[in-house]
Amino acid sequence: MTTLQILQDILVKEYRVAPDQVKPDATLTTLGLDSLSLIELMFKIEDTFKITIDTDGPTGLVTVSDVVNYIDGLLAQPGG
Amino acid sequence: MRRVAVTGLGVVSPLGSDLDRMFTRLVAGESAIRRLTAPRCEALRSPIGAPVEFDGTAHFGGVQLRMLDRVSQMALCAASQAVAESRLDFTRENPERCGVSVGTSLGGAVTTDEAYFSLYGEKSDRVQPLNVVAAMCNAPAAWIGIEYGLSGPGLTYATACSSSAVAIGEAARRIQFGDVDLMIAGGSEAPLTFGVLRAWEAMRTLAVQDPVDVSASCRPFAQTRTGLVLGEGAAFVVLEEWEHAQSRGAVIHAELAGYGLTNDPGHITRPSAAGQAGAMRAALRDAGLTPQSIDYINAHGTATLQNDAVETAAIKEVFGARAYKMPVSSTKSMHAHLLGAAGALEFVIAVAALKRGTVPPTMHLDVPDPACDLDYVADVARSGVALRAVMSNSFAFGGTNAVLIASAPI
Repeated sequence: MTTLQILQDILVKEYRVAPDQVKPDATLTTLGLDSLSLIELMFKIEDTFKITIDTDGPTGLVTVSDVVNYIDGLLAQPGG
Repeated sequence: MRRVAVTGLGVVSPLGSDLDRMFTRLVAGESAIRRLTAPRCEALRSPIGAPVEFDGTAHFGGVQLRMLDRVSQMALCAASQAVAESRLDFTRENPERCGVSVGTSLGGAVTTDEAYFSLYGEKSDRVQPLNVVAAMCNAPAAWIGIEYGLSGPGLTYATACSSSAVAIGEAARRIQFGDVDLMIAGGSEAPLTFGVLRAWEAMRTLAVQDPVDVSASCRPFAQTRTGLVLGEGAAFVVLEEWEHAQSRGAVIHAELAGYGLTNDPGHITRPSAAGQAGAMRAALRDAGLTPQSIDYINAHGTATLQNDAVETAAIKEVFGARAYKMPVSSTKSMHAHLLGAAGALEFVIAVAALKRGTVPPTMHLDVPDPACDLDYVADVARSGVALRAVMSNSFAFGGTNAVLIASAPI
């Protein structure tokens, strides 16, 4: 599965987002994720992808593809 | 002073999450006390309690479910029953004239227990990000406020075992003083985790499991009593200013006629007959009633050695000869001790008794303690009793004694 597919899966299952809404250019706000949900989403992303997100958290994540690129960036780092 | 009507009742209890069903089982003398199957509980000296058959995933989902500790889930469900029964339409109410008042002793104890187990037990270096909002003591009140769009007072009281009696009494005061017209008031508690149970076990206040019949382990007022049994659940009432209730044609179950409050400054846990009697007298004074007009007391009756004898002495001090002529029962013998939710659950039971003219029994009282010599309605419910006014006693570690009186609506 691609990073996008895994993220789509999380958003549909855990955040009750309609599957057809989760497109790369969809903004997280339009998907109904508020700041609390975003913090929780980062926790789930850490669990799912076995990566560690900086305690300051990522900034500037607006769309689904922003999140995908952020995850892929962390996965590409040595020791991911 | 403005009068306070009780127009809605709701329960999520060890004896069922439906008031009629719960009351029927109480009248039948059924006990919900059993062996606990929660993780690690087999290590307890006496692994018993009164759990609720309740699955939050049947009621909530998504992010909300992960923000709701069991204590908030049960609170929302009990409050929704009370609101549905009151037939309130919040779109027709001024939200600033409506509030919520909740009693809980421990708040989100399940969330706290799980987080600490993960941190200390499993050596995890992370805590779920929604831990704080799930565990905070005022979460049940906050969620009820969100659910019904209440923008008046949102209050949480933590006075241990009298928390929700205080929550109901203080809510009534808000209505009486004219701050609001309507309050959703009650309590919730979800204490059946290994950590909480171990702590109570260490206090040496928990009942020994009955070797023959687990369900008979809580024996208030009996010579053979060995302590309290912990239970979980939630109970809520809708309280309304009298004319507000009448003008919308609401069914008024009872009048919340009296509320009395005292504090025991003598000791952190030892109950005081003077303090308990003082709270009962204060409630009678508040209701403008004499001891002669109380027809039933739902006692605090924890089945601890200390409480039951002291409470009996306090009732005798207040009621004199009347103490022997009036039924007094402890339904904790069946639903166990719901800590912060106990006062609300027992107030709801007292109102249900008042409405139905039926007094639920004190179960497992085959060998009475000579120091406990009142009419405790031993083992068999009494129906067809004309009840004019009923009293519900709630006393607590820490010393906050709270007494509520409900009277038949006139």
